[in-house]
Parts: sequence; structure tokens; C-alpha cells
Amino acid sequence: MVVSIKDGFRLIGVAIVTFCAVFVCTFFLNFYLDAVKIKTINDPDVMVLYNAQITTAKFTCAISGVFLALIAIVMLIFYIKLYIDGNAKQLGVFKALGYSDVKMALRFAAFGLSVFTGTAIGFGSGYAIMPVIYKNMTIEGLPEIAISFHAELLFALVIAPTVIFSALACLYAYCALRKPVCDMLRGKTEIKIKKFKEKVEKERSFLKEMCFKTLGARKSLAFFVAFACFCFSAMVQMSVSMLDLSSATMGGIILAIGAVLAATTLFMAITSLVNGNVKNIAVMKAFGYSLKECSLTVLGGYRVFALIGFALGTVYQFVLLKIMVGIVYKNINSVPDYNFEVSVFFITLAIFIVFYEAVMLLYTYKISKVSVKEVMMEN
Amino acid sequence: MIVAENIFKSFNGGTVEVLKGISLEVKDGGFVVILGASGSGKSTFMNVLSGLERPDSGKVVYGNEEITAMTDKQLTEFRRREVGFIFQQYYLLAHLSVDKNVKMGADLAGNKSYREIIEKVGLADKLKSKPAQLSGGEQQRVCIARALAKNPRALFLDEPTGALDEATGRNILDYIVKLQRERAFTMVMVTHNTNIAEMADTVIKMNSGKITEISPNALPKSAYEIGW
Repeated sequence: MVVSIKDGFRLIGVAIVTFCAVFVCTFFLNFYLDAVKIKTINDPDVMVLYNAQITTAKFTCAISGVFLALIAIVMLIFYIKLYIDGNAKQLGVFKALGYSDVKMALRFAAFGLSVFTGTAIGFGSGYAIMPVIYKNMTIEGLPEIAISFHAELLFALVIAPTVIFSALACLYAYCALRKPVCDMLRGKTEIKIKKFKEKVEKERSFLKEMCFKTLGARKSLAFFVAFACFCFSAMVQMSVSMLDLSSATMGGIILAIGAVLAATTLFMAITSLVNGNVKNIAVMKAFGYSLKECSLTVLGGYRVFALIGFALGTVYQFVLLKIMVGIVYKNINSVPDYNFEVSVFFITLAIFIVFYEAVMLLYTYKISKVSVKEVMMEN
Repeated sequence: MIVAENIFKSFNGGTVEVLKGISLEVKDGGFVVILGASGSGKSTFMNVLSGLERPDSGKVVYGNEEITAMTDKQLTEFRRREVGFIFQQYYLLAHLSVDKNVKMGADLAGNKSYREIIEKVGLADKLKSKPAQLSGGEQQRVCIARALAKNPRALFLDEPTGALDEATGRNILDYIVKLQRERAFTMVMVTHNTNIAEMADTVIKMNSGKITEISPNALPKSAYEIGW
């Protein structure tokens, strides 16, 4: 059939991003809902700390929840487009046999299963770690906050996202499937050809031109590479700052989320990039282009986006923490001193470069394994 | 001269034997057509001969260079220097213009005058077009220009007219053969079309991984004289 249940579980990237979003939101929102039950606080100092924690919970949920949800949507759409492009011939056969666009698009609701997997595990993990979080957030002088289960959170963080993402998957698939049957059967790649204001082609070497066009043809991957590096930069640097501003536990959680998000997104983006260029690589290899040339052509153009992502992540975490410190500690006398940490920046940059180049080396190895013959045999 | 000696090749861990001890000599500047039904091993043999694939045993020698003894890096360098390909499915780079697709071959040979070849294949007015904007025949001509722009010593063609109609197929074949005579490169073509074989100076028939017949052809016909 068009999309199987098995396919629905395959969007690992979406599952991981939704896991991270729901994991963070679960324990912060649960804490918020439990904390707001406290009616009377007599000590003004305790009240200030209490308000600071409530603000932290709301702020963190809003920032990470909305941000990660948007990324998950982009990722979902990217995956569906990839799926439709990769299975265009098969989908074309279904259309030719008389399946309607609506009927086929409805099958894409299965992709919501990945969202369900991510959110359900995130929700469960959030509850599992909650005793540690609550203990960390205990304020002396405040009555102990007991962990309660909030059914509305299960609905808002697991059921609603699954339904919304499934509906979104169907809607996007419906729009994407509205192509002529013959084009789908031929597996025709959609290439936008500018009819007006055609730019004058620059006299570049083939390799440079190929590098530019590879980048231009897969702009969404440039976004994901930048996002992966943004996550790495922002979360790693933020986790170190958390040691002073919050606790080692929070720092550890942020570090883990950052590393998982960065690695997942980067691997997903580069895997799609290499898989989408297998034929081009095979032809280049057949003609005698070296492994280094093939690798640079496919992967080289994305390095600049990685660095932009890293730079934006650095700025983002600094500005975010500055604002957060200002809001959360506005009524507290001993406001922690938060400044940009140059040494942390350089150490993170060094680790980032090693990590990024190691991933590129791994994929260069994958490119070296592209068999010219197998690609030719596919047709 | 290209010499293949006692070539064996199998797949699936040796269970499917595709080439069973093939030997062949192709003279410099010769035009060889390899004929055979599907599964006869003709494409695999061409892949081995062109350095796209390694045989299990046996050797392939170009002049004094034994390509079967080369490392992957040396083999890549060899293909870069000596060999051109024209594929049935074209394998043009979809996002690049005709000009840049041909430049792919030209850059390898440092060929600055590659646009002359584009003109010769009759695509001067399509320089900025993308492959998706071209007909099958035009795409195959881009493929030819790309292969010739690297000035190969040997050109390998896998069913170059397999996806074309008769008129376009004849034009393409005529053009390739004219260029081959003009530039005197060696040409090896794989096809199942027996009519095309009449254009070659040597015809090789393959069946079940073996060469069953090698026939020299003293009077090769033109693309417009053969049947289709």
C-alpha cells in the first residue's frame, strides 16, 4: 500500500525532536501546575524565589516547546517530500490505477506514529526524571511540592501533537501528490526553471558549479545542517552556563538534548544529501573524478552553513540567558553575574570542528562505497 | 590496443557466473560492437573492459598499462585520462545546464574549446537548457558531447540508441561514427540490435558469459544503410 504502518515509525528525526520537546515541557509544565496549587507564601524572599521558578518553567516551555515543534514540522514536511520523491513511480502506479489523491494522502497519517512514539517516550521520560527535577527545584521555606499526574498534559503533549502532525502530514501529502500521473511514473524530478529574469550563468569550473547547484537543489538540507550546528553550539555552551545559574542536573539535561538533537539532525541531513546525489556521484566517479572531488562537490558547500549555525547558536544562547537572568532574577538581590565565556566558546568550537569533520569523513567513506555499476543496474 | 585475457566474473558470492574466461583484443581506433541477449554478460564485460568493474581473475591491458592491477585511485586516474562513457539512461546532471554537463567532461581534459563539440552535436541554441527541457535525442547528444569533450582514447557505449526513435537513433549513430573516424578513438558498443552491428568493423557475439563468435566486417555500413 502507499504508506505502511512500518513507514510511519521511520521518521526517527521527527521522533527525536518531539521527544526532546515533550521531555522538557513535561517536567516543567507538571512542576508549574503543581507549584501554582500553593496558595499562600508568607515569606517575601521565598515568594521571590517561587516566582522566579514559575517564570523559568513558563519561559523554558515556551522557548523550547515552540522552537522544537516548529523544527519537527519542518522535518516532517521534509521527510514526506523525500518519501514522495523517492516513491514517485510507485505512487504514480497507484494514481494510474485510480486511487484518488485524497485516499492516498490519508495514508500519510501513519507518519503521525513517529510523533506519537517521540511524544509518548518524552512524556514517560519526563515523569521518570521528575523526582530529580522537583528535588532540584525545592525552595527552603516552601511547602514540599508533590508530583501529581495531569491528564491535560497527556492530551496537550502527546495526543494533540499526534493528531495535529497526522493531519498536517495528510494535508501536505495531498498538495504534494497533485502532480500529473505521467510525471510521477517517469520519476521526473521537479526542477524549477526560471523563465523570467534568467540570471547569466557564471563561468565557474564544473566542480564549483556542481557544488553551488547541489546546495541550491537542497536548500532545506542547508537549513538542517545549520540547525544541527546551532543546537550543538547553543546547548553545549548553555549547559556550561547552567552550572552557575541553575544546577548540574539541568546542565546535564541541556547538554544531552543538544548533543542528541545535533547528531540526529546532522546525520539525517547528510544521509539525505548523499542518498539524493548517488547517481551524480556515480557518474562523476565513472568519468574519473577523484573521491576528494566528489566529496567536496556534495558535502563541501554545507560547511559555511554549519559555521553560520554555530555562530547563531552562540549568539542565541548568550542573548537568551541574558534575558532569562534579567526576567527570572529581577526581584532577587543577589543576581548571578552572567557574562560571555570566551574559553567555553573556543572549547565548544574546537569540539564542534572535530565532531563535524568526523561526520564528513564518515560520509566521504560512504561516498567511496558508491558503486557505479549498481546505480547503472537500477535502471 | 586493449587486451582482455581470460576474464572471469561472478556475482552473489560466486553463485552467478557472468563471465567465463573471455579473451579479446581491440585495435586502437577500432569500432567493436558486442551483441548478445539480456543476461549474456555483455554489459558486465564492457564494465570490466572500461575499468568500471574489477574481474575475479584475468587481466585487462591498455597498451602497457594493466588496469586490473591498479589501485582504486589509479583506476580513477586512468578513467579520468583515457575513457569516456555514453549510457543508455544518459545520467545527465539534472540541475546543471547543457553547457555545464559537457563541461563536466571538458574540465577533466582541460578542454577549453568544448563548446565546439556542443555546436557539432547541434545543441548550440540549447546551451543554457536543463536536461528536463530536452528531448531524448537531445539528451543523448549532450551525453555524447560530454564524453567527447574529455578527449577519450576509448569510448564505451551502452545501448546508446536504446531509448530513441529510429530517426533520432540513426542521426546519433551517424554522428558518433563520423566523430570516431575523425578523431580515431577506440569505440566499444554494447547492444542487442543486430542491425547496428553492421556499422562496426568487428562484431562480437556473446552468450552465457562466453564469446561465441568474432566476425571482422570489411565493409561497415553507415547509419542510414542499416535496417532498424
